[in-house]
Amino acid sequence: MRRLAASVAALAFCLGFAACSSSAGPSGNTIKIGIDLPLSGADASVGRSTLNGMLLAIDQASKRGLPGGFKLEAVQLDDAVQGVHSPQQGVANVRTFVSDPNVLAVLGPYNSNVAAAEIPITNAAGLAQISPSTVSDGLTIGPDAAKLRRANPTKNAFFRVCTTDARQGAAAADFALKLGLKSAYIIDDNETYGLDLADVFEQDYQKLGGTVLGHDHIAKDTQDFKSLLTKIAAKKPDVIFYGGTTSTGAGLIRQQMFDVGLGGVAFMGGDGIPDIATVAGARANGTFYTVAAPNAEKLPSARTFVKDYAAAYHEPVGPYSANAYAAAQVAIAAIARSIVENDNKLPDRARVLAAVAKTDGLSTPIGKIGFDANGDVREPVLSLYAIKDGKSIFVDQINIKGR
Amino acid sequence: MHEFVAQLVNGISLGGIYALVAIGYTMVYGIVELINFAHGDVYTLGSFFALAVFGALGVSGELHGAALAFDAGLALLVAAVCCGLIGMLLERVAYRRLRNAPRLAPLITAIGFSFILENAMQAWKGSAPLPFPAVFPNPTLHAGLVDVNAQQAFVVALAIVAMFALQLFVARTRTGRAMRAVAQDRQAASLMGINVDRTIAVTFLIAGLLAGTAGFVSGVYYQSTWFLNGFSAGLKAFTAAVLGGIGNLAGAMLGGFLIGIIESFATWKIGGQWSNVTVFAILILALIFRPSGLLGEAVPEKV
Repeated sequence: MRRLAASVAALAFCLGFAACSSSAGPSGNTIKIGIDLPLSGADASVGRSTLNGMLLAIDQASKRGLPGGFKLEAVQLDDAVQGVHSPQQGVANVRTFVSDPNVLAVLGPYNSNVAAAEIPITNAAGLAQISPSTVSDGLTIGPDAAKLRRANPTKNAFFRVCTTDARQGAAAADFALKLGLKSAYIIDDNETYGLDLADVFEQDYQKLGGTVLGHDHIAKDTQDFKSLLTKIAAKKPDVIFYGGTTSTGAGLIRQQMFDVGLGGVAFMGGDGIPDIATVAGARANGTFYTVAAPNAEKLPSARTFVKDYAAAYHEPVGPYSANAYAAAQVAIAAIARSIVENDNKLPDRARVLAAVAKTDGLSTPIGKIGFDANGDVREPVLSLYAIKDGKSIFVDQINIKGR
Repeated sequence: MHEFVAQLVNGISLGGIYALVAIGYTMVYGIVELINFAHGDVYTLGSFFALAVFGALGVSGELHGAALAFDAGLALLVAAVCCGLIGMLLERVAYRRLRNAPRLAPLITAIGFSFILENAMQAWKGSAPLPFPAVFPNPTLHAGLVDVNAQQAFVVALAIVAMFALQLFVARTRTGRAMRAVAQDRQAASLMGINVDRTIAVTFLIAGLLAGTAGFVSGVYYQSTWFLNGFSAGLKAFTAAVLGGIGNLAGAMLGGFLIGIIESFATWKIGGQWSNVTVFAILILALIFRPSGLLGEAVPEKV
């Protein structure tokens, strides 16, 4: 037993030593960009197309070449465990990135609750992190964000190229009323993302003149929503708004709406449910969702991207592919600038982070990108999609600057 | 009042599925005192087998008449039989060798097999939720205050038929009597010439058959399945078995229906996020006042 304890201690010592020795500065001529996304399970269909957007940008940059002859390498890790995005796994992945000195920027994650767990780590390490899609307000704004940045309060290391829940909930409320849906019942999945989205929708929908008939939260892993929906059916809403993702309940709820006579009622959500047809099948028809990005295919600056993406992956762009491409562009541009500033020598993380924060007017498929002090984009454009015969159809987009 | 009845119907149909799974827990516990944690995953496998059959037959939408009877019947049969065989296989491979080992050993093996089955299903069909074809026409039947849709009626009917068949089997047949004997005293039963290994294998077979049936039913009822379904459903079904009195068949059924109804009413009156809390709070209360479950008899611990 004592020998076991001794060997465990020795092992722990070795591990600790390894961790220490790896916290030295970057060396060699390879610069790594860490990518953390859900790549398996229910979120994989959106995770994959998001990954593809990032890889496309990194590929193109590698072909053009970085100043100083540095090589660019993408390191991708999956944050889904048993098919669902996991904050714990996200933390483990980001620790892996932090311990590799050649990782100078991290792209991702996809989900807000994963980001909330990861931000303190990248913040403490001073490692720039750019997310394509995490839309929870508290990640960048207000006291919640201050708590996440506790290790390094003055040096924000987290940026996102999408807009926030507040803006997404506001846009959804706006769209719903424009579609003539005057009363809503709200459900959310009690996660960071879903709860925020649903709360903001509720506020704005009422402010704009809509009637909220009720607001319910659901338990994790619920499969049977018939009792909840039976209760809702009695209130006869025009629309059921869901804050959450397909995997946390949107798919099953949409499906079971038909079993309690709510099949004709509109179903609306945020950017967590574009893949709802994978669960609800034909019953996904009649679903609307917002995406915290302009429609990539409608934007002139996006045409080249859409063409390149189709050529590289032989599939249409996903809801966050363009954002992912833009996030990777931000990281690559910042790395390139820091190499030049550092006389064509390998830059350190602090320099790259400062360069990311100074991003301004960078031309991307989702418009010109610049960050404010919180790490949010300055010009938020959102779009609304409807699902018809299993496909997403673009409906409308708005710019809600200053709302 | 109308809504009360509607919620009751929701609860009973949900409970029907729990009851079918709970019987498997209770039978296996009754005969080998093992909590077979892999049972919930055998239940999920049932929906996967049914899905595979529908896939092979090219079924993607509603069926009628003979096609409905044949395709759905075949899917049910394959799901039930395959799950039964897998239950038996689990017993043969994993539990039989450990029958005389300390009780924790087979328990941990069961948890291990639960993971193996989950990951096998993940490897087979991927980790995303899978849509299940809506094979059954689903008209709403009106009977006074009660609105029942055909699927709900089907779930409940199938659960009740399966339970009666099982009760008859255990009470009337030779194998059923052997099962009761082995449950009471394994050694004495074997001295009376009962083949203990075979009897235990049959128990696992029946538990698997019912789990497969429940898996098929859940697929048809929710039109969706995924590889981790068995975890929470299995936990609830196990709870149902404990609430009813583990080891007691009628108790498992009662427990299943009760838990379904409690869950449904809790969602309705208290809110969805409290449904699990309510179920387990009631379980704890019930066990404080009746430690052996609602229909269980206080038996002295076997040593």
